[in-house]
Amino acid sequence: MDLTTLAFFFFAALTLGFGAVVVLSRNIMHAAFSLLFTFFGVAGLYVLLHADFLAITQIMIYIGGILVLIIFGVMLTTRITGVDVKSGRTGKLQLGLTAALSVALAAVLVKIFLSTLWHIAPAADVDATAELIGNALLTKYLIAFEAASILLLVAIVGAAFIARKK
Amino acid sequence: MSSYLKNVWAGFYTAVKGMMITSRHMFKKSVTIQYPDEKFDLPANARNKLVLDMSRCNACTACAIACPVNCITVEGVRVSPEDPHQEVHADGKPRKVWVTRYEMDLAKCCFCGLCQAACPSDAIKHTQDFEYSAYNKESLYFKYQILTPEQSAEKVRLLAEFKEKEAAAKAAAAEKAATEGKPVAPKKAAPKADEASEQ
Amino acid sequence: MESTNFIWDLMGKNLWSVVAVISLPLIFVLIYALVAILAELKVSAWIQERLGPMRTGPWGILQPIAEVIKLLQKEDITPTAASKILFNLAPYVIFTGAYAAFAVIPFSEAYAPANINVGLFYIFAVGSFSAIGIVMGGWASNNKYSLMGAMRSVSQVISYEIPAAVAVLAVVVLTSSMNMMEISRMQEGGFWNWYIFGGPGGWTKIFMIPFTLTLAIIYFIASLAETNRLPFDIPEGESELVAGFHTEYSGMKFAMFFFAEYANMFVVAAVVTTIFLGGWTSPFGSFLAGAGWGAFWFILKSMFVVFLQIWIRWTLPRFRVDQLMYIGWKVLLPISLVCFIAISFFSLLNLG
Repeated sequence: MDLTTLAFFFFAALTLGFGAVVVLSRNIMHAAFSLLFTFFGVAGLYVLLHADFLAITQIMIYIGGILVLIIFGVMLTTRITGVDVKSGRTGKLQLGLTAALSVALAAVLVKIFLSTLWHIAPAADVDATAELIGNALLTKYLIAFEAASILLLVAIVGAAFIARKK
Repeated sequence: MSSYLKNVWAGFYTAVKGMMITSRHMFKKSVTIQYPDEKFDLPANARNKLVLDMSRCNACTACAIACPVNCITVEGVRVSPEDPHQEVHADGKPRKVWVTRYEMDLAKCCFCGLCQAACPSDAIKHTQDFEYSAYNKESLYFKYQILTPEQSAEKVRLLAEFKEKEAAAKAAAAEKAATEGKPVAPKKAAPKADEASEQ
Repeated sequence: MESTNFIWDLMGKNLWSVVAVISLPLIFVLIYALVAILAELKVSAWIQERLGPMRTGPWGILQPIAEVIKLLQKEDITPTAASKILFNLAPYVIFTGAYAAFAVIPFSEAYAPANINVGLFYIFAVGSFSAIGIVMGGWASNNKYSLMGAMRSVSQVISYEIPAAVAVLAVVVLTSSMNMMEISRMQEGGFWNWYIFGGPGGWTKIFMIPFTLTLAIIYFIASLAETNRLPFDIPEGESELVAGFHTEYSGMKFAMFFFAEYANMFVVAAVVTTIFLGGWTSPFGSFLAGAGWGAFWFILKSMFVVFLQIWIRWTLPRFRVDQLMYIGWKVLLPISLVCFIAISFFSLLNLG
């Protein structure tokens, strides 16, 4: 087992383990902070896939942006200094239904994983993915890129409108 | 717009100016005095530890009377003219009074300097020494002596003897005067003192 | 491509060389932090016409070691009402963020721990670990001051990341590379080739100098805010928030915050050095150039920037929160955008 494989298992365990904490923790803040390690593990997996730009974007956007937003959201919407940041208890019926749904979903996914003939690409030594991604975004996928930026612009205008003093 | 740019420029410029000022201070000589290694000169009239010069003291008790916190205790006894142990005072005249007890409690002293001002012979002085702190008050209780307690007792005894003798002489003189009808000489002790100084 | 890590050349690629590559920056951070703490004490003392520490060793140079020993001996307190796991984790998350950035810093032409193509982007990304760590510590302390400090800190870091990123982006436009090693290499050949003076190019680059100079200043100001240093230290303003997010921390965990702050200072100084001050290149062309001298120049320039940070800290008072936001959004951001657009324009015209 070489270092890369070890690193893969480490990052996979990090992602899955803290993903489980996110789901199972009763404390919303603990769940939110566990996301940090999940996102970090995913970034590590990207690195192992030679997707360096994507890995760093994952850290930048998910940890630096979305996680901070989630934490701020949790802290600002509950009584932050109290201990109210816990998810409520679910009823037996909901619990059963959710469990059944999850098991079904997991079964379907496992079935797909096992039955698909995965196309294994040779490990290409791609050095600069940033350049490729940049070129692709500004030529082939320009419309999608611009649409995303318009969406963000609309979001900014909306936020400014809501936050503005009347 | 122009006021905005002016504002931005002023902010930047003043920050740089402030940094120039601090950079000037960076190369100035430090004002710190590393105390135990170097000390700065106290002013000439600084009032710190009280010190008594026993060779000047006349036990006049002016300092003890002047002291507002009663930290000085003085007792003295006049020098008997017949005392074989005579001493020349610091001012060149023969000592007239033996200081049998001189004690000062510096734990009480408030460094007002009144004793220094009151002293007629410049014996008690505030010095520049301020490093005499101690772990207990007893070590701030200073006892000055030039005579041992036995010597002091001796001096007291000598003076008492002399006084007795003088009184006897006086009585004899009075008797003589009474028999001869002459008035008593008003000053009998003065020629005796002169005699003592001649010795 | 020639090797950019002398440890790979010396030891080959095996587990021990990986350990060596990882631990070399750590050793550097520890030594640097001690020097920086001493510099902070001494510079503040000199600015205030004092002597600073003088009793520990000759001229007090052992003072930081004494301070670290003191911190190690202190009781490690976890408040009862704190969220224990997060409280104990936060200092390490912050230090991870600060230390991870060292992975891409090009110390010399022969040593960058990892010479990746998106180095600058990576430094900005791992900077967000510090923000998360600060929120973690602030929230887990279960203390109003800590929480307020953490909220202020994160809002400040997020606001100032934008002008900083725009300033860096302008240089990326000029170099068309985010590889810090390549950016350094482009500035070889004397200080007039540094990007603070418009980068390499003919006489037409003089039109660019005001813009790159402004961007360098903007990045420096924004980096002060990102490292929570004065005059942007409202997250730990003593007069308002006791000590901000690290109010409840003591002993070794406090020392971790301390180390992380100084490590962050060096990271932003290294970014300034790499993108504006020529990185490891010698300021005199080929004079005193080379791998060893490269490390010397790099550390010298970075320490100069750290000295600037300390100098500013002991010169300027703290901003108010509204002033901070005003400077971030209404001064630095528009000006950096104008400079960015101007530089893009110049680089399109090939003036640079």
